[in-house]
Amino acid sequence: MENRIICRAGIRRHKKSLLGIAVLLFLVALSLSTVLTVYIGGGEYIREEIQRAGFGNLTAWVSGVPDMEALRDSIKTQEGIESIKIQNLIFSEYEANGIESDSEGQLIPWNPGEETYHFFQDDLTGYKDLPEEIAPGTLYASPSMVSIMELKIGDVITFPVARGGETISLTVVGYYEDPFMGSSMIGMKGFLISEADYEGILQTIREAGMDSLSRIGAMIHIFTRTESEVSVSGINQRLNENTPISQYTEFIHSAEAIEGFMGILQNAFCGLLAAFALVLLVAAMVVLGHSISGVIEQEYKNMGILKTIGFTGNRLIRLQLVQYTAALGAGILFGILAAIPAAKVIGRITLTTTGVLLPADLPIPSSLAVFAVILLLLVGFTILKLRKIISVTPMRAIRGETAEIKWKLSKAYRLRNEGLPLRLAMRQLLSGKRQYLSAGLIAVLLVFFASLTGRVNVWLGPEGKGMMDAFNPADLDIGVQSMGELDPKEVEDMVRSYTDITDGYLLAMPSVSVNGTNYTANVITDPERFHISQGETSREEDQVVLTETASLDLGVAIGDKVTIRGDAGSREFTVSGIYHCANDMGANIGMNREGYLSIGQDNPDIWCHHYFLADTSQKTVITEGLQVAYGGDVHVHENSWPGLFGIISAMRGLLAVMYGMIAVFVCIVSAMTGSKILAAEQKDLGIYKSIGCSGEMLRMSFSLRFGIVAVLGAAGGTVLAAFLTDSLVSAVMRLAGISNFASHPDLLNILMPGLTVILLFLGFSYMVGGRIRKSDMTVLTVD
Amino acid sequence: MKQALLQGRQVSKVFAQDQMKNKVLDQVDVDIYKEDFTIIMGSSGAGKSTLLYALSGMDGVTDGTVAYKGKQISRLKEKHMAKLRAQEFGFVFQQTHLVSNLTLFENVAVAGFVSKKGSTAEIQERTRSLLAQMGVEKAGNRLPSQVSGGEAQRAAIARAMIGNPGLLFADEPTGALNKSHTEGVLSLLTSLNNSGQSILMVTHDLRAAVRGNRILYLEDGKILDELILPRYQAEDERSRENRLKDWLSELQW
Repeated sequence: MENRIICRAGIRRHKKSLLGIAVLLFLVALSLSTVLTVYIGGGEYIREEIQRAGFGNLTAWVSGVPDMEALRDSIKTQEGIESIKIQNLIFSEYEANGIESDSEGQLIPWNPGEETYHFFQDDLTGYKDLPEEIAPGTLYASPSMVSIMELKIGDVITFPVARGGETISLTVVGYYEDPFMGSSMIGMKGFLISEADYEGILQTIREAGMDSLSRIGAMIHIFTRTESEVSVSGINQRLNENTPISQYTEFIHSAEAIEGFMGILQNAFCGLLAAFALVLLVAAMVVLGHSISGVIEQEYKNMGILKTIGFTGNRLIRLQLVQYTAALGAGILFGILAAIPAAKVIGRITLTTTGVLLPADLPIPSSLAVFAVILLLLVGFTILKLRKIISVTPMRAIRGETAEIKWKLSKAYRLRNEGLPLRLAMRQLLSGKRQYLSAGLIAVLLVFFASLTGRVNVWLGPEGKGMMDAFNPADLDIGVQSMGELDPKEVEDMVRSYTDITDGYLLAMPSVSVNGTNYTANVITDPERFHISQGETSREEDQVVLTETASLDLGVAIGDKVTIRGDAGSREFTVSGIYHCANDMGANIGMNREGYLSIGQDNPDIWCHHYFLADTSQKTVITEGLQVAYGGDVHVHENSWPGLFGIISAMRGLLAVMYGMIAVFVCIVSAMTGSKILAAEQKDLGIYKSIGCSGEMLRMSFSLRFGIVAVLGAAGGTVLAAFLTDSLVSAVMRLAGISNFASHPDLLNILMPGLTVILLFLGFSYMVGGRIRKSDMTVLTVD
Repeated sequence: MKQALLQGRQVSKVFAQDQMKNKVLDQVDVDIYKEDFTIIMGSSGAGKSTLLYALSGMDGVTDGTVAYKGKQISRLKEKHMAKLRAQEFGFVFQQTHLVSNLTLFENVAVAGFVSKKGSTAEIQERTRSLLAQMGVEKAGNRLPSQVSGGEAQRAAIARAMIGNPGLLFADEPTGALNKSHTEGVLSLLTSLNNSGQSILMVTHDLRAAVRGNRILYLEDGKILDELILPRYQAEDERSRENRLKDWLSELQW
């Protein structure tokens, strides 16, 4: 009974402090639960869907296969292969809402009753039943097309099937969930069409012959034996060596790689949010520690009294622990519960970027494990901080011997007439620094993380240049690829009619195998253009450069030899350097034109002319002009990619959420620390008022104390971010194949996070200091 | 003719709690004169401290007016009241009430800076001089918790005097001091008064009260009587004390 009385009294007396801690833990649990739901749940969902839909352990996109049955049989006989499933499709460029695709689309026939795909309701709020059929003249697209091409139901997508204006226009009647290539991070996009339209396009392609622009292709889903000891990459190597598949392969990916592509965006943001949640957890622990010290100081006398009536130190610790555990547990519990609707909202918001409706079901076992560890950590930390209670002796406590001020005379700070509020704030800080330690540490942590995210945002840039530079093997202003008989010279002349071309080179991206594993080759006429990070570029015919990812996957270094096979033969190349290209999660190699032509066939259609323009503002006009003039015979792209804008807006969203959380954190920390300080300084405030200090001046001085602490913390956080950001973010970016992350923020971007945190501390502490105006001097008369 | 420095008219103060009203001051009329050492005496709960704080603006009045140098101060805005306290009033409390984390020197100097009566150097010099005058110059760099009660109270008097106040308010300034410290503080106050400083002091200590030249007796929130004495001379102390005792016994103190 007495325990309950004391606990209830404690909760009543410190309810604001306990509530503040509960709110902080709520934010931590909310962030972390959301991350777990999206990361684990999203990953599992995509994996399950890939399996459910019947996609293989390895999938090869092929085209121009003369005898599919023969190819199927040759694959089937390989060791470790269990079965094969062929999914027919047509590769075709497309255009919608005036935007031309930068990768070929895949037109996939869908038969009524086929349960491979889920279909979304028109407003994208959930799933609907399978349609009875896909009517001829219509199609279903991935929701990511909404962010890529601003596609909506009723829009028309035009596919150029053959030269001479042979196109097919299909109306969007709905969206389907594509767990295979639905993400806006993946350039290739699938469209479900009717069997009748598919047959019609096939007919047109066959009739057009050499003039066809669309190509007949298929996805070959290869299922490996579960008991097979050969890895998926090993099987890939065997297929390339023992079957003719490499002659027809556009690209080949394992289910894990596809899952990686599909999850790249959510995983990157989950990584950032998880790091932020950890920063919040550390910040919450700092506040918790500060709150416990404050409560012990406030309750020192009461604890002394309780000890005189027989309470032991350990019992008092247990009673305090119950109160804190209740606050911590409540915060975590409500945070977990709030994560369910939050994950639902995130799932819906990100649907047009991820292409899949991420599940909002909390992964129970992982969450229980994570939060059990966090709770144990917090409880252990609380016990550690509460151990001071043991040293409370009744008489010392009752005599009030806790308020020990440590002030070294050698560090005397001279007060002056000028700027008295600031000088008083400084003086108060110097003699009571411990009280402001938590605010300072939190400023360091928050500014560090805001700076880190800000630097990633700066790297990304307003138009995603950082990301594009990471993905492109070489810089460009505009890329133009002429198809069929269209003379590239004619196209170049048209570009020059808008603005001068200052420089240019050719780039082709054929598929090759390196030591038996498939890679995209970046074949360039000017190898000096590669973004080289180590060694030399591939100047000689027998030289090749690898991405860091490819170098690690293949286990080769600069100076090593690799065997590269193209569609005309194979030979040995020497690795001359490491370059940056995050396409296909870094699965790329770079070589010069002469090198490629020694193993691959030349074809004018494979070369894309990359130009540097005198007036870069003309890029969009030139793109539109070329499309109007040459239609499907030309493919034009800028140093951009429609899916990029989804990433940029997601990044901005994350920054907004993060700054919101920072504001809540600063508000709670200012309120908790400020209230405690004000309660302890009631008498001092009365004294200051009695000597003529106005309430406003004292409030300003109080707020300045937090401002000064925030300035110091912000400086620490900014310096920390400057030293750690590039190495920390690079480590994460490498997982996505981006190995050249280096932030170069301008002064404003460097200062912005710190300034924001300083202003938030100043503002919130000024608000908390409002009660100074109400405090009167009668406190001095009632001792 | 004495010049009235502070005038209270019909000053009432009512404390209300849980619908219970307690009238501590009941329509008090009082004048405090320039250069006087005025003492307020009375039994416990008579309203002595309440009157002091009502007259000094430290606490509001429920009814009535207070004027300082002819100007009403009982309804002043906080900003103007703060200016008045900084430049015209000095306070000494029963407990020393020094800012706990400022040294004695800083406690005094800050009050000087707030008064805005001089440059930084002038105020620092005056602080040193006042601390020397109070006999605590050597303790200037110590915190209040590191000095004796007497030293702290003398520093508090120095703080009250740093702005050359027109009127010094003292609420039982020796109430928490031992005999030797009490004597020192009273001597200081007497010497300040002798040099022209007007003082209004609340006390229930006869040894302190004899230092005044005008003693007001308060009972049940009203001024019952007043005693006028000549200015304090140490050699007259015994006779002043006797006179005061007689007066107080007449008032059934």
